[in-house]
Amino acid sequence: MNWWEPFEYPFLRDAMMIGSLIGVLCAVLSCFLVLRGWSLMGDAVSHSLLPGIVLAYLVGAPLLIGAFLAGLLCAVGTGWVKNISRLKEDTAMGVVFTGLFAMGLVLFSKVPSDLHLDHILFGNLLGIGPAEIREVMWVAFPVLAVLLLKRRDFLLLCFDPAQARVMALPVRLLHYGLLALLSLAIVVSLKAVGIILVTAMLITPGATAFLWTNRFDRMLLISSLSAVISTILGVMISYHADASPAACIVLFQAALFALSWIMVGRGWLKCFVRTGEKSTPR
Amino acid sequence: MDWNDMLIPLHYDYMIKAIWVCALIGGVCGLLSAFVTLKGWSMMGDALSHAVVPGVAIAYLLGLPLVLGSFVSGMLAAWAMGVIKTRSKLREDAVLGIVFTAFFALGLLLISLYPARVDLKSIVFGNVLAISDQDLRQLLFISGAVLIMLAMKWRDLLLFCFDAQQARAIGLRVEWMHALLLMLLSATAVAALITVGALLVVAMLITPGATAYLFTDRFSRMLGISATIGVVTAGLGAYASYYANGSTGGCIVTLQTIVFLIALVVAPKHGLLARRRRERKEVQS
Repeated sequence: MNWWEPFEYPFLRDAMMIGSLIGVLCAVLSCFLVLRGWSLMGDAVSHSLLPGIVLAYLVGAPLLIGAFLAGLLCAVGTGWVKNISRLKEDTAMGVVFTGLFAMGLVLFSKVPSDLHLDHILFGNLLGIGPAEIREVMWVAFPVLAVLLLKRRDFLLLCFDPAQARVMALPVRLLHYGLLALLSLAIVVSLKAVGIILVTAMLITPGATAFLWTNRFDRMLLISSLSAVISTILGVMISYHADASPAACIVLFQAALFALSWIMVGRGWLKCFVRTGEKSTPR
Repeated sequence: MDWNDMLIPLHYDYMIKAIWVCALIGGVCGLLSAFVTLKGWSMMGDALSHAVVPGVAIAYLLGLPLVLGSFVSGMLAAWAMGVIKTRSKLREDAVLGIVFTAFFALGLLLISLYPARVDLKSIVFGNVLAISDQDLRQLLFISGAVLIMLAMKWRDLLLFCFDAQQARAIGLRVEWMHALLLMLLSATAVAALITVGALLVVAMLITPGATAYLFTDRFSRMLGISATIGVVTAGLGAYASYYANGSTGGCIVTLQTIVFLIALVVAPKHGLLARRRRERKEVQS
């Protein structure tokens, strides 16, 4: 068996490239989400995009815009329900995103369309065309640029919102800005990995990197690296095993996490984890 | 549309069967969702409902009962979450997310390897309108078992959900209660998976309880209200799905969400209107 065979096919090369770009985008976001305790926000926002996509199709608007608005509606709606009721945030989130998703399914079944529900849910990494590649790039690079340029501000928001307020950062703007960037990232990732597995790409790399290091810049680097490795090897494995590429990518990420977790448990990563801690008197 | 048209769905045996099966599962999920809301385990419901998928796929492949497969994979996921949570510095939500997405991806991988033998659509969206007799028997068995356990243990579970410290202090075995609730959730998740599909189980396990929580402060009433909401919305949703090309799960959960939104506004003590009224009174006095 020739392991390098997948690289000979242009559509597989495209899949790896776009998958890596999306993987890095999600991985960078996942670092912020892990620190903010928002890991499941990705799950919620990604499910809630469905009604936006179907409605945008109905009125003939770009699907991206519909999806983006629905994602924002979910994030804002969760905050609203939490504020006006006595429910906890995770319960409010659960009610809002499942409600939106269910509405999307009903709309989908009532509206005759040439949308493929399979592609929305599970992605279609191997069937990505030039138009979609351009679309992903147009969104991914600006979002990445904003995230990386403003990473200090976002980091403080995630790490210690009270401190951020004291330092007169625009906390509200940062909060909704991060949600908007998250929605945008999920919207473009849908094409590749689908609603369901984008959740994993928005949690696992950041959590893996969190085990490795205490320094945020290194965390960004490690999580991006793990996402790229997972994407390339995941696509290769899926080619050889004739399996779903999205599932392979996510399982590879999970395997990297499991490996890191075991290594940390054994104390093999201590030399890495300690870096950045200036004083650990024991 | 006159009344005769409204009755059309009821002329079909499969519709009648779907309506009562959904109502039953809706009721069981409603009861459990009261505990889930109180315990703050909303996302555990989400996680378990995704984590049972590989078990369902393996059970399909090997011809085993779905209950067995999903139960084992649900408990494995719960175990993995527990172990990783206690032995890392990660927050609970991240651990939950990693484990359930990995399990779900494993399920999808299995399905993509053997596409002919596992019906992805019926796992993801449920298939109550064409439910097989075998699945129906399993469903009845699960519902019966869950209801009996709840009837026997609901006071202990309540104390565990409300105040685990107190439960430990009066000599309840908290670890056992924890495991019991996880088991009930896994078992119910697979029953609900057959009716509304893996993606919407979580709604059935959160929304009725959250709605009832807005209505009352008394737990026994909360149980009653959330079970009633579960039964009525699931039955009506199954009925309505006749008009929505069979998207049973979508109809049920949309209904539940509508009921929740209504409760959010009009609930007697905790609703938006009641709160406004109270604030106005405070301003006046």
